[in-house]
Amino acid sequence: MDETLHFDAIVVGSGITGGWAAKELTEAGLKVLLLERGRKIEHQVDYETELKAPWDMPFRGEGDADLYAREYAVQSLNRHFTEFTQGHFVNDAQNPYQTGADTAFTWFRSYQLGGRSLTWGRQCYRWSDYDFGANKRDGHGTDWPIRYADLAPWYDKVEDFIGVAGAAEGLPQLPDGRFLPPFALNVVEQAARERIMANWPERRLTIGRTANLTAEKEGHGPCQSRSICARGCSYGAYFSTQSSTLPAAQATGNLTLVTDAAVEHVDYDPATRRITGVRWVDSKTKARHQATARLVFLNAGAFNSVHLLLNSASEAMPNGLANSSGVLGTHIMDHANTLSAAAIMPGFEAWTTFGNRPTGVVIPRYRNMETMDGIGHTRGFSFQGGALQSTWTAGKRAAGIGKDYKNSLEKPGPWRMVLVAFADCVPRATNRLTLDRTRVDSNGIPQLRIDFAFGAEENAALAQAKADATEMLTKAGGHVMFGFDRPGPGGTAIHEMGGARMGHDPATSVLNKWSQAHDVANLFVTDGAQMASSACQNPSLTYMALTARAAAHAVALLKSGAL
Amino acid sequence: MSGWNRRAFLGAATLVALQAAVAGGGAVLGKLDPRDAPSPRRRKLMREVAEHVIPTTGTPGAGVVGAGDFVLVALAHGLSGTRKPPAADPSFAPHLRPDGSLDHAAWLEVRLGAKWLALPPARRHEALAALDAAAYKGEPAAAPWRAIKGLILTGYYTSEIGGSKELNYELVPGRFDPKVPVTPETRAYSSDWTAVDFG
Repeated sequence: MDETLHFDAIVVGSGITGGWAAKELTEAGLKVLLLERGRKIEHQVDYETELKAPWDMPFRGEGDADLYAREYAVQSLNRHFTEFTQGHFVNDAQNPYQTGADTAFTWFRSYQLGGRSLTWGRQCYRWSDYDFGANKRDGHGTDWPIRYADLAPWYDKVEDFIGVAGAAEGLPQLPDGRFLPPFALNVVEQAARERIMANWPERRLTIGRTANLTAEKEGHGPCQSRSICARGCSYGAYFSTQSSTLPAAQATGNLTLVTDAAVEHVDYDPATRRITGVRWVDSKTKARHQATARLVFLNAGAFNSVHLLLNSASEAMPNGLANSSGVLGTHIMDHANTLSAAAIMPGFEAWTTFGNRPTGVVIPRYRNMETMDGIGHTRGFSFQGGALQSTWTAGKRAAGIGKDYKNSLEKPGPWRMVLVAFADCVPRATNRLTLDRTRVDSNGIPQLRIDFAFGAEENAALAQAKADATEMLTKAGGHVMFGFDRPGPGGTAIHEMGGARMGHDPATSVLNKWSQAHDVANLFVTDGAQMASSACQNPSLTYMALTARAAAHAVALLKSGAL
Repeated sequence: MSGWNRRAFLGAATLVALQAAVAGGGAVLGKLDPRDAPSPRRRKLMREVAEHVIPTTGTPGAGVVGAGDFVLVALAHGLSGTRKPPAADPSFAPHLRPDGSLDHAAWLEVRLGAKWLALPPARRHEALAALDAAAYKGEPAAAPWRAIKGLILTGYYTSEIGGSKELNYELVPGRFDPKVPVTPETRAYSSDWTAVDFG
């Protein structure tokens, strides 16, 4: 690939939003180059551990702790990281990043075709106007230039395509979507739902809304309740690039896919004030390549899209591409995340379950809506979690050896219930990404530096979340064992976002309401980097809806001759 | 088929799988750094210790299925945090590696005493039960036992016999049933990954 290639559009990154951009742009008739920095993983063919049992694995699914300490020190902290899934996460030693002296940030990454769409938690929640209006209401950050009505039809479109199982609840703070049949609550969760609602009518425990198919969908089998999604699913029963958007994009005949292509620079022409194309390094051969296009979509993942913009500084834009505002890299966020309460749930010993449900439950936000009833915070928090039974691993905490001990571990153990809080993270200028010019990666590109800390708002929200969770599980009949009121390190929620926020004003934001750079009309950033606030819902569904919306706008501009 | 019969049948029918499981453990053992490669005596000790923790009942026990070798591999690779420096205790000093971690297997061998393997089974069991009780009462000098016992459990319940004969294993349940009555025949599923990870 020595000559310069020409396309209508280039999409950088093949994860959740990159796949969507490629699908929407190719379906509109554009010739699209999709660049992915990681290796190719082919649907079904390359899901190497999908059918393995623990006894087929060298370390029985636990993995080689010695290797993880050396090369996966961050990734191995991810709850979806196991010996079965380690190939779907980056090698930290080979992909370093820097953090400020006072920063603890676990940046979970997947550099491969499909990106984190292979390993994501699949939770799909619409945002509401409590979320899009949050910055305007309390003054943190800058106002979103869009509201729920702008995004609602795009949520519809995305849900129709990916398939989201969920239960309609009619809650204004968590708008219902176009759902496939929901997974069922287990007996403990069902009782907890009723008991919590009896005490607090505004608190609605409901089943998690998940991108797992509860019914057959063209070309996909239904979910088999294995709950090993992050290994890859040959049934195509959860949404991933491989199972959903990539085949759609490829079916148009308009897609060129290049893997092992780490984009290092987006080229800007000051004469036309347009992007001309991108340059990349072949991760295997280290050869340099380039391509030109009329449009560029950045979908490298929030922090990597910002990294690329910062690294694409030029004489005309010395502080980074599309950074005339100076806010590029600032106001990054991640949900403040902690286990608020864990309880023993007596009274359900007669019941167990069959199969592995690929989702937990959710208690949507109920604070700071019509009444500002948050203590020390102005935003929302929600809970995810569920009721589960213990098993043989609980034997590690119990005294005993011998026959009786063995027999004590043969049945499903006592029921427990956990509530994990996700609190809105307010945008702060001091939480930011910069380039560390003293350290380069294996391609010679300055490493990303993360400075991040939670503040009084998040700590106050998690304190209230712990108190609330304790009360709810107690009223639900549980005996609370423990809980926490301090967040895990930044990145724990794996909802890192912001850095190229959307806004009305080019002086204080990077993108306009179409996810389009204020400074450069043919540049779109439609992953998590565009977020101006964090809400407390899992953000991927919103990223997808924003991507589809931006793609339609870009195509319209292109066809009208405006680009 | 009643529970007893089902399990007795499975216990007799698993010899072939059992051979494969033990061979698998041995294969990984062969890849260890020479400094961590266990002596035949230490392999025998860990096998017997594992069998005392999870003995053969209607299904084979942990020693029989090769959990002892798994523990030795796991300890060499630091599973369950075993390559992190232990809490300070004078009795650990002779068993510390250059990196400050505790050689759990060497510690156990000394802690149980040179004659443990030669004791009659009941006495062996007694000595191990005493160590277990001390460790779970929080006695610092017995603390390393908890990691060893935990790895014996891992070695057993992630073996084919422990995972699919002692417990049930279903990789493809095909459905989620939220309300199933517990009966005397009910067995936990080793493929309930949420329970394994968070229970």
